[in-house]
Amino acid sequence: MSGSAQTLLHLLWVFSQLSVLGFGGGKGIIPQMHADAVSRYHWVTSEQFTQFYTLGKLVPGPTTIFAALVGYAATPQRPYLGAAVATLGMFVPSSAIMVGFDVLWTRFQDSPWRAILSHGLAPAIVGLVWSSVWTIARGAPSSVVAYVVTAVVTLLMLRTKVSAPLLILLAGGVGVVALR
Amino acid sequence: MSADGALEAPRPSLFSIALAFAAISSTAFGGGQKASIRQQVLSRGWMDTERFMDGLEIAQVLPGPNILNLAIYCGQRVRGIPGAIAAFLGASVPPFAIVLIAGALYFKFSSNPFVHGALRGCAAGALGLTIGNALELSWDERSDWIRIALLAVTALTVTYLKMPLLLVLIVFGGLGIAHEYRRWRKAPK
Repeated sequence: MSGSAQTLLHLLWVFSQLSVLGFGGGKGIIPQMHADAVSRYHWVTSEQFTQFYTLGKLVPGPTTIFAALVGYAATPQRPYLGAAVATLGMFVPSSAIMVGFDVLWTRFQDSPWRAILSHGLAPAIVGLVWSSVWTIARGAPSSVVAYVVTAVVTLLMLRTKVSAPLLILLAGGVGVVALR
Repeated sequence: MSADGALEAPRPSLFSIALAFAAISSTAFGGGQKASIRQQVLSRGWMDTERFMDGLEIAQVLPGPNILNLAIYCGQRVRGIPGAIAAFLGASVPPFAIVLIAGALYFKFSSNPFVHGALRGCAAGALGLTIGNALELSWDERSDWIRIALLAVTALTVTYLKMPLLLVLIVFGGLGIAHEYRRWRKAPK
């Protein structure tokens, strides 16, 4: 099997697993995605991973669409194919579960298990989000200016209604001037 | 078609379903998307508020992006599985195309020092958003120290011991569910 075909299979396998395990809107999968895409398969560097994640937050639609960029980088000979395979892996399995579960969920309409499952999973998901902070920080710039930008964006996000993409763009504006 | 929950009158074409979600997925960001979907679906009379809120709950619990799951739920309610597929395509194809354009530009220009600086700034900003998100989510857990402990142990184990996601969900997700179950059994009914 050619290296490229093997990479495509790995992409499909890695992102399908992340798709199925992406509880809580996929917020918790970032550390595992980094472990696979950076440490295990070396498809991207930590810095690229963080920047792709950033682009995922910057464009409309789900953040995890940045899987497409990991696929793009992983298959330099056929970037669009790699992007498509990674995206299919990321979105199709969870969507199939959604379609299949719909009927089941209606049947358990008044079951206490609905709330027990969703509330019960939350602490683990939030813990994974904290770990994602560390994952993303590994590829973010480390300088006083960068730390200040991060702190200010955190505050603005919590205290104002400025939208997420606008905050990222403002941070980018600071970067053009001070983080070259 | 899955008639339950859909209002009687409208039976939108698959194309109009795909188009409705494509319009939302190519323009709306983050939490704004849920509001856009709600507004579209209710104003078109595809379902009532109660059905929509049901869908939102399922979409948030099951794996996958909330927006995509919600779109699939709505498509499935009005036109069955073909409707779900139309909604899936509408909700995923435009973001895919847009992120590819962003990616192509990235690989072309990221070595330019100004673009590189902008990207680094954007990354610092995205890190701030992630921290803000983590703080908000943690604040919701503040009333129960067991949940806070579970959250902290999960974060540390994943960060420092690199525990695989599947194991995290089984162990810490399982403990959280067991804790929640115990609380539910003890609660006066």
